[in-house]
Amino acid sequence: MKPLLEVEDLKVAFDTPGGRVEAVRGVSFTLGRERLGIVGESGSGKTMTGRAILRLVQPPGRVTAKRLAFDGRDLLSLPERGMRALRGRRLAMVMQDPKYSLNPVMTVGRQLTEGLRRRDRLSAGAARRRAVAMLEAVQIRDPERVMGAYPHELSGGMGQRVMIAMMLIPEPDLLIADEPTSALDVTVEAEVLRILDGLVRERGLGLIFISHDLPLVARFCDRVLVMYAGRVVESLAASELEQARHPYTRGLLRCLPAVGGPRGPLPTLRRDPGWAE
Amino acid sequence: MSSATASWRTWLTSRSPRSRRQAWLGQAYLGWLSLLRNPVALLGLAIVLLLVLTAIFAPLLATHDPLAQDLAKRLSPPGTAGHWLGTDEFGRDLWSRMVYGARVTLYIVLLVVATAPVFGLAIGTAAGYFGGLVDVVLMRLTDIFLAFPRLILALAFVAALGPGIGNAVLAIALTAWPPYARVARAETLTVRNSDYIAAEQLQGFGAWRIVTGHVMPLCLSSVIVRITLDMAGIILVAAGLGFLGLGAQPPLPEWGLMISSGRKYLFDQWWVATVPGLAIFVVSLGFNLLGDGLRDVLDPRSASR
Amino acid sequence: MALIEIAGLEVVFAARGEAVRAVRGIDLSVEPRESFGLVGESGSGKSTVLRALCGLAPVSAGRALIDGRAPPALGRIGSRDRAFARRVQMVFQDPYGSLHPRHTVDRVLSEPLLVHGLGGRRERDRRVEAALQDVGLDASFRFRYPHQLSGGQRQRVAVARALMLEPSVLLLDEPTSALDASVQAEVLNLLSRLREERGLTFLMVSHDFAVIDHMCDRLAVMQQGRIVEVLDREALARGAVREDYTRALLAASQAHAPVQ
Repeated sequence: MKPLLEVEDLKVAFDTPGGRVEAVRGVSFTLGRERLGIVGESGSGKTMTGRAILRLVQPPGRVTAKRLAFDGRDLLSLPERGMRALRGRRLAMVMQDPKYSLNPVMTVGRQLTEGLRRRDRLSAGAARRRAVAMLEAVQIRDPERVMGAYPHELSGGMGQRVMIAMMLIPEPDLLIADEPTSALDVTVEAEVLRILDGLVRERGLGLIFISHDLPLVARFCDRVLVMYAGRVVESLAASELEQARHPYTRGLLRCLPAVGGPRGPLPTLRRDPGWAE
Repeated sequence: MSSATASWRTWLTSRSPRSRRQAWLGQAYLGWLSLLRNPVALLGLAIVLLLVLTAIFAPLLATHDPLAQDLAKRLSPPGTAGHWLGTDEFGRDLWSRMVYGARVTLYIVLLVVATAPVFGLAIGTAAGYFGGLVDVVLMRLTDIFLAFPRLILALAFVAALGPGIGNAVLAIALTAWPPYARVARAETLTVRNSDYIAAEQLQGFGAWRIVTGHVMPLCLSSVIVRITLDMAGIILVAAGLGFLGLGAQPPLPEWGLMISSGRKYLFDQWWVATVPGLAIFVVSLGFNLLGDGLRDVLDPRSASR
Repeated sequence: MALIEIAGLEVVFAARGEAVRAVRGIDLSVEPRESFGLVGESGSGKSTVLRALCGLAPVSAGRALIDGRAPPALGRIGSRDRAFARRVQMVFQDPYGSLHPRHTVDRVLSEPLLVHGLGGRRERDRRVEAALQDVGLDASFRFRYPHQLSGGQRQRVAVARALMLEPSVLLLDEPTSALDASVQAEVLNLLSRLREERGLTFLMVSHDFAVIDHMCDRLAVMQQGRIVEVLDREALARGAVREDYTRALLAASQAHAPVQ
């Protein structure tokens, strides 16, 4: 089967007054209709990788790649118009904080139906029915009320679910979720993950799950890329996490406290400058 | 020389300064560098420096005594031998008067800067930090002052105190502080609930120390930007008072006063009013450009994390 | 006698004309040298309890005492209660928001000494250097500004600041939740070591069960302004949990637990 997304030697660089900063330094992977986790600490380039795939890197940032193809189409040579059409329909992104991604002065209902009406030329009634159905799909109990609400009237978990619903309405083939649950309480997080999981299974979409939380990603995804200083240092099946070989991956796993774990000092990570090579 | 410069630069941009002064100078140097990257702000700075230098070296730059009359040469056009910018209705050299006028303008500017922003900053930070009744009383007082048109209020003060340049400055300062209080209060409201202020309260710091040592420095950059942007307005009000005969008194070479007396000849001898008018225009523009540039440099939000 | 004594504590905020009851009557006591944790989700009131204890939030009803004394009203007028500052200090959650952006590390650490009149100039210099060393930062950090530090380094500075006045009680409000996992481990180790060395009493708030379990002898689970359950470490290890809510929290936090 043809892969959904092919990334080869992806680079993101920023020219700042202080000199050139390379945020992503040659990342390669392919994605099918599966759940791929990208894990790393702050500054590892994981978020930039996600944004670069959608061509959402703002200048002065520059994106280059030997190959960046979605469903066989080269994304880097696509004009901005074509890219926008693709982003609206087949590629979607969910960000960490719904507060910054939803328009604060528009009701949820309008934000959900706007695309359907404008892009798909649906009638008001039909667009509304689709939106309500999608809110139900992300387990919102009272979709009619939520449709009339403004973003600030929603809790964090609700906002994140609305965000996911909004991204899924055009039925994309690829969803990039950048820390979709780290602003949420653990009990809500479980819910959101279950929703995402169901969508991957039922609709067969490809998911890139970006997070700093290695155990969470390992439990949720099929495959994990571990990033450090702009590079993928290790790529492994989630089930083989215990056999991780790279000292960074192993260090990340070991330094977490566990309920009922030993009391002594936590093992810390000794960073080797060689990892960045 | 270049190696000495380079070692200075390393010292200034060191990531681990070894003293308070080095840390402070390093920050100032970085600010200066970002100002250098902004050509418009540099132009503004150049104009302001030109004003200062002109004021200092006025006796050297002037070709004539600014007060010396020569009725035989009255209203000579620019380009006349000995008077390259022409003369006014008493035959006084316009170039020399403009040069000495820089002193008067600078004097007004400095006096206003030394009073209005300081007062506004004190009122604004106090209102913002203490809140409650203090805030209500201080800000309503500010609103009352803001409700009057500035020139009219200044006129009323001068009318009460008597004309003269000192009183004009006082009147301008009395009308100029409310915007600073507003800016300072708004800035204070954004910092007063921050964790670092809470931490300082927990350390047992008194309100005086927190307001003066911790809140005010954070308001300062907004206030400085506001001052430079306001400066054009202050110069214009001073000129306006001079123009109306309530500020500087003849024969003092004040730019507004010069426009006022040139007004009568505007159609036939345009240069008499135009020369000081251009001076006001250029200096106001200079302060505005500098203000915009400083906003970019000083805005803490633009500082790198 | 307990060092921290909370009885019937209620905290009510007025928000847009509505009264919000953030803390709804809790009882709690912490012994000297104990390390006590408060676990809960956002909005459970756990941080408000800390803030009420040190005077940053109003005590609307009940008592919140440290060493038998009520917190000073820290309001805007400022506190003259210097003795309280030398007994209780706090470390905040956000390392980017808890240091003054225009002050060097040196000023952040030396100003408390100056205010409390502790030592002359030379003595202050010595104590600032010692404090930096204590939290694992070398002398080159002394004259840096916060924006020149990483999140973990800032949090070390915040810990150093809290310890400048040598308090006996440290209130920790999610001190590592904004940090990367590897940096979290370093800061938690630092806090444990300092508690050991100085005999400190901790009251620590976190949403992370594993962090609280690692750091604390006893913990209380909070939900909507109330304490649901108080557990000790041993009971938790045995899984002797009574309440469904605690069980749900524990189960959900398993997703973040290291893979065994």
